[in-house]
Amino acid sequence: MKELKLYLGPNHPGMHGNFSVHMYVDGDTIVRARPMPGMLHRGFEKLMERRLWMNNLALIPRICVPEPDTNEMVYAMAIEELTGIEVPEKAHWIRMIILELARIANHLMSLGGIGGPVGLYTGPNWGLADRDLILDIFEEITGARIYHMYIVPGGVRKDLSEEAIEKIKSFLDYLENRLPEYEDLIIKNPLFQRRTKDKLLLPAEVVWELGVTGIGMRSAVGEAYDIRKVDPYARYDQVEFYVPTANYSDGYTRVYFKYLETYQSIKIIRQILEKMPKKGKVWNKISSGSALRWRVPKGQVYTHVESARGEYGYYMVSEGEDKPYRVAVRGASYPQGLLGVEKYLPGTRIDDAALWMDTMGVCPPEIDR
Amino acid sequence: MNSTNDAKELIRILEKSFDIKDFTTPKKNEISIVVEQNNLPTILTYLKDKGWKQLSLITCVDWIKENKFELVYVLFNWSNGTTFVAKTKIERENPEYMSIIDIFPGAKYYERDIHEFFGVKFEGNLDSEKPLFLELWDDKPPMRKDFDPLEYSKRKFPDRKYDVEVSKNAVKDAIKEGEINERT
Repeated sequence: MKELKLYLGPNHPGMHGNFSVHMYVDGDTIVRARPMPGMLHRGFEKLMERRLWMNNLALIPRICVPEPDTNEMVYAMAIEELTGIEVPEKAHWIRMIILELARIANHLMSLGGIGGPVGLYTGPNWGLADRDLILDIFEEITGARIYHMYIVPGGVRKDLSEEAIEKIKSFLDYLENRLPEYEDLIIKNPLFQRRTKDKLLLPAEVVWELGVTGIGMRSAVGEAYDIRKVDPYARYDQVEFYVPTANYSDGYTRVYFKYLETYQSIKIIRQILEKMPKKGKVWNKISSGSALRWRVPKGQVYTHVESARGEYGYYMVSEGEDKPYRVAVRGASYPQGLLGVEKYLPGTRIDDAALWMDTMGVCPPEIDR
Repeated sequence: MNSTNDAKELIRILEKSFDIKDFTTPKKNEISIVVEQNNLPTILTYLKDKGWKQLSLITCVDWIKENKFELVYVLFNWSNGTTFVAKTKIERENPEYMSIIDIFPGAKYYERDIHEFFGVKFEGNLDSEKPLFLELWDDKPPMRKDFDPLEYSKRKFPDRKYDVEVSKNAVKDAIKEGEINERT
């Protein structure tokens, strides 16, 4: 028996982003695993302390590429809490549309992306192609495809056009018809099922130990623990949706939940389009004068939202200056990406390491922010 | 717990046994307290028993003028949707604090993170001083307020040109000269 030291990553086709795992293997079984973040070295938190409140809007979406809008939302929410500014009614609904579209984009990328590590290469092609349709909508609404800088403190940057609304509606119809094909290609695929069913288990007690949230948590503890339900923000308390839960969290269940949650996001956006006020302001001024001179009142606040990967939060400290004194980012995938890797990869096979990262939704820039 | 009254009730119970220095509700469903450093682990244990089972975040704030570090523990209660923020200050010189990995095992990596970026040692966490993000780092912890990234860059990469001062003044000049509108 010989123990070998191997690296998974920093660049690996089965994973999103740069993240390395140092593995000690015996045959093809992992004996020990050591997560090695720090391949990005972008220092977002330090950069934020040195930039104006408004300038940071261009920086924060870059923390997590698959779902950049959650960063804009928590950042805006924190500033709104500190300044006490009221967000216009219509802006709340528009923010929800953006967040749910981003959630679908993330789930599509992840659902298709799981095809990479299991060898179903049609999956990533489909996932990215369909996600691209959402990026088209974002481009129509915000002028940018990935980093939108659309959700700003006080509301959103501009109103939705009729064309954008039509585009969203036709995309939702398309996606609803398209999703069963994903089920046939991925969920029902024997290859995928053999690789994920009864594997990569996450027991309920471990969820609390690690601090895992999102799909990982809901698939293990059997409760609808979703911040949109438990501590609603924007107008999530006024829309109806169902949160899938289970008491058995294996790789298969977690991927299937992403599929089910995509349907729920479609349902939410349809309700928003019906309930959203037709007219009204979408942005309130934070303070008078140039946005380059904003000063946010002194205070400390923690705001959080439910991202596609779990609880995403910002702890923000303001000293009444034109820049934040401190911003700490709670990345949704921090617990499962570090302690989860160390504790739960040993005992699995080498080729399951990328699957763990994928099904748990590990997003490396949230860890090395 | 959805009202300030419930928050006050919880604080009243905590105040009976501990010295709570400050209590605020920064937003709906959020309670924030400042406590003595010796009391914090006991309070966290009490809160965990009361339903704050999830450790969302541990972070640190550098109050350089006061010469203190503030450790911030964010807990979340899934059954009533309430966030609890517990804070305590420690000395900035040779900063050291107790690890809470016995209460929340998930704290292990947050403590390593804080050690790396602020230099706080956590007694009881055997891994807390191992490098995690910054390979071969040879300067003071980078999230401290007195760490100067520009000086560090100049020392590490002396051949590069740095236009930081130029760009810093460019915005000020542009506003002064009216090139940037006071649109908002």
